[in-house]
Amino acid sequence: MIVKLMGAILIVFTAYCYGCSISSVYKNRVKRLEELLLSLEIFKAEINYGLSMLPEVFLSIGKKLHSPIGSLFRKSEIYMNKQEGFSAADCWLKSLTEMRKELELDEEQFTLLKKMGLIWGKGDKGDQLRQVALMQELLRQALKEAREEREKNEKMWRYLGLLGGCTIVILLL
Amino acid sequence: MGQGVTKYVSLSLLRWVVLKLFNRHHSIIRDIGLFLPPRIRCLVQKLPAEFLEKTQELRLRHSRPLMLHWSDGEACLGHCGVVEKAKDAYIIRGEDLEKTLELISNHSLYAFEEELRQGYITLPGGHRVGLAGKTVVEKGTIKIISNISGLNIRFARQVKGTGERVLPFLVDRLSGRLYHTLIISPPQGGKTTMLRDLARLISDGSGILVQGKKVGIVDERSEIAGSFRGVPQLEVGMRSDVLDACPKAEGIMLMLRSLSPQVIVTDELGREADVEAVTEAMHCGVTVISSVHGSNLEELCRRPVLEKLLKNSYFERLVFLSSARGPGTLESIVEGERGLPLFSSHSKGE
Repeated sequence: MIVKLMGAILIVFTAYCYGCSISSVYKNRVKRLEELLLSLEIFKAEINYGLSMLPEVFLSIGKKLHSPIGSLFRKSEIYMNKQEGFSAADCWLKSLTEMRKELELDEEQFTLLKKMGLIWGKGDKGDQLRQVALMQELLRQALKEAREEREKNEKMWRYLGLLGGCTIVILLL
Repeated sequence: MGQGVTKYVSLSLLRWVVLKLFNRHHSIIRDIGLFLPPRIRCLVQKLPAEFLEKTQELRLRHSRPLMLHWSDGEACLGHCGVVEKAKDAYIIRGEDLEKTLELISNHSLYAFEEELRQGYITLPGGHRVGLAGKTVVEKGTIKIISNISGLNIRFARQVKGTGERVLPFLVDRLSGRLYHTLIISPPQGGKTTMLRDLARLISDGSGILVQGKKVGIVDERSEIAGSFRGVPQLEVGMRSDVLDACPKAEGIMLMLRSLSPQVIVTDELGREADVEAVTEAMHCGVTVISSVHGSNLEELCRRPVLEKLLKNSYFERLVFLSSARGPGTLESIVEGERGLPLFSSHSKGE
């Protein structure tokens, strides 16, 4: 009897954890997009007041954000400093592809990040700031949608996990 | 035994010469190569040493062949190295120019607005990239060069020792004072190389000048010291201060006020304000060494801005250079006030 009870608890717990892991994807997506917006704010400040070079700006963002987004910027900075003749967009795309899993973004958000690579280091300061403002607008829209998705799915997946676990236990009993 | 030693010495000497040449050219190509997209980098790196040795410029023009230029010639560059016909050469695409510009600006074009306005960007190592494209004009002055259609990468090569021949004529042997000097030559005649070497020799102290002097270099176009982010990339001497990318007139006055130079070195006098600042420096007891474009004195006197300087004999020594036997050929040195020739390449039978 005790073994059955232990088994039932284990199944329910595992199913609950599975539900939580899926719901955390929605939570993390919101977090990533918020961090991307923050990184663009840092970028704007750095080029507006410091006129720092792009690799330096990326390093500075990487140091400030201890998350996959920070790693994405640090990785791109490393590729740029290797001076192999690749553009900032190439370096960004390469890092993005390598970090796709860790970023936990959906297809639409990932495409947006790919587009983000095309704005780095293009045009004069005015052009650059205009492009950043446009990207911020797109990210804000994506963030709004991601928040709605989270509202819808976060709790649902957690309960679904718990209930799924319970259903399996009932069926097995 | 004797033969063995001779053979060993000559082989060592040959090895040293080969290494020196190899390293020099390869370090230039290494420097420049970092700023070229992989396709063009590959073509340039395959070039034989004989071309690398003399190449002064690498030209990238939209929809036209990739070209190399040197003082008395040029060549097109293709996948098989130097090619004879332009149609076999590598044709530059818009994408090549865009990528090169991005690499030159370290992916940060926004940080190079001033350079884009001036029309050139200096690279580490002192190499300079001239820009051609569409100029955006605002209130009568160039705001920026956009839609870049051509890049001219000029290789910076420091030729040490060019000033050694000239320096003894520029020093008063009794007092040890340096004369105000103007270096004159047509474009690509070696003026800047001569100025740089004189600055180095005067600053470090050499030959007739046992004690070095404090030298202030006002380097408006970053050509003398080849500064990158304010740090000189070429040797200009241990007692030299460099004001990089600074307008000459303002730079000279700033030097006088705050850096107490004994000698001011600046290139290409051309504006009224430059001439005023130079005469101000001369009256402050500072020696001025400068340069102008021209081939002879009569030609220079016809330029209204320089007329005052030359007619009043502000410059005590005039050094004429040409590229008759390669850039930096010393033609003559003339005493400024009376026009007496102190040196002439013709009288020396050169």
